[in-house]
Amino acid sequence: MTDQALITQFQNGDSKEGAFTQLLKRHQEPVFFQIKKMVIEHADADDIAQAVWIKVWNKLDGFKQESAFSTWLFRVAYNETLNFIAQKKRLQAQTKQNHQDHGLSHPSSHNTIKESDIQIKLERAIAELPEKQRFVFMLRYFDAFDYEKIASITGTTVGGAKSNYHQAVKKMTELIHNA
Amino acid sequence: MGLNDNMENESISKELEAALNSFKTKSNQVPEGYFDQFEVDVMQKIQANKSSQNKVTIISLFARHKKYLVAASLFFAIATGYLFYNSAENKTATMAQVDVIDIETLPDELIEAYVSNNELIAEVEWNSAIENAGTSISSTNN
Repeated sequence: MTDQALITQFQNGDSKEGAFTQLLKRHQEPVFFQIKKMVIEHADADDIAQAVWIKVWNKLDGFKQESAFSTWLFRVAYNETLNFIAQKKRLQAQTKQNHQDHGLSHPSSHNTIKESDIQIKLERAIAELPEKQRFVFMLRYFDAFDYEKIASITGTTVGGAKSNYHQAVKKMTELIHNA
Repeated sequence: MGLNDNMENESISKELEAALNSFKTKSNQVPEGYFDQFEVDVMQKIQANKSSQNKVTIISLFARHKKYLVAASLFFAIATGYLFYNSAENKTATMAQVDVIDIETLPDELIEAYVSNNELIAEVEWNSAIENAGTSISSTNN
């Protein structure tokens, strides 16, 4: 069944759970991995991903299918991820920790596998990116989303999404070579 | 070249590209069976939220619309009071309103009927007035 058919089935109240779990199984991995690239820690990504799907369950009755389900789903994931990062920053500021992780855990601090210097620099560079640029870069580079879809997800224009991507590439390049 | 083969990635150095690939590999690592358990965890939370949400929904509906309900009640009270007051005033005005009828327009039969109905009363009142004035007059209307 297509996403549209599953959503219609859900909205009609016809085997809601069955339709929902099919959507979840179909889309859970790309959404989870996008979130994990943003926050790195598996536990954090798990919390955010669960929140995303619970929100999808609660809001799916009102989804008008004006955009593709995956676009809407990633939009929910984008908002939840940014909210999580902002909340984490506030908590860190309150507890006066000295992390400069911008919402990410300290790169490689708990990783037992020896990582190359460049990888460590990359993770720090990614952590330095503003969240929106980071999200746009991940969607474009790793998931090959087109700019129209990215713009819909992040609530920006196509030009804005392109600019975010190029700025992200530029900053990462600078940070890796200068750090 | 990176995963996206568009020209825009020509600015990404091979060094950065390799690091990004390693980053992707690391990010995509999950515990075994994670996604199967994830589905179960999500559905359990949804079921748990369902029962508590039913009550909360009712409360939040009133809480959300409380100010509109208060405003509507106030408006209804004022409107009802105004209408009632207006209606009472109109009634009084209606009661106080007297239709003035021109006697020339009345039919003769109506006038004769009124006079004969009220003749006795008029005579009694007339005699009372005469008695009070201290004179007596005999009636010629026998």
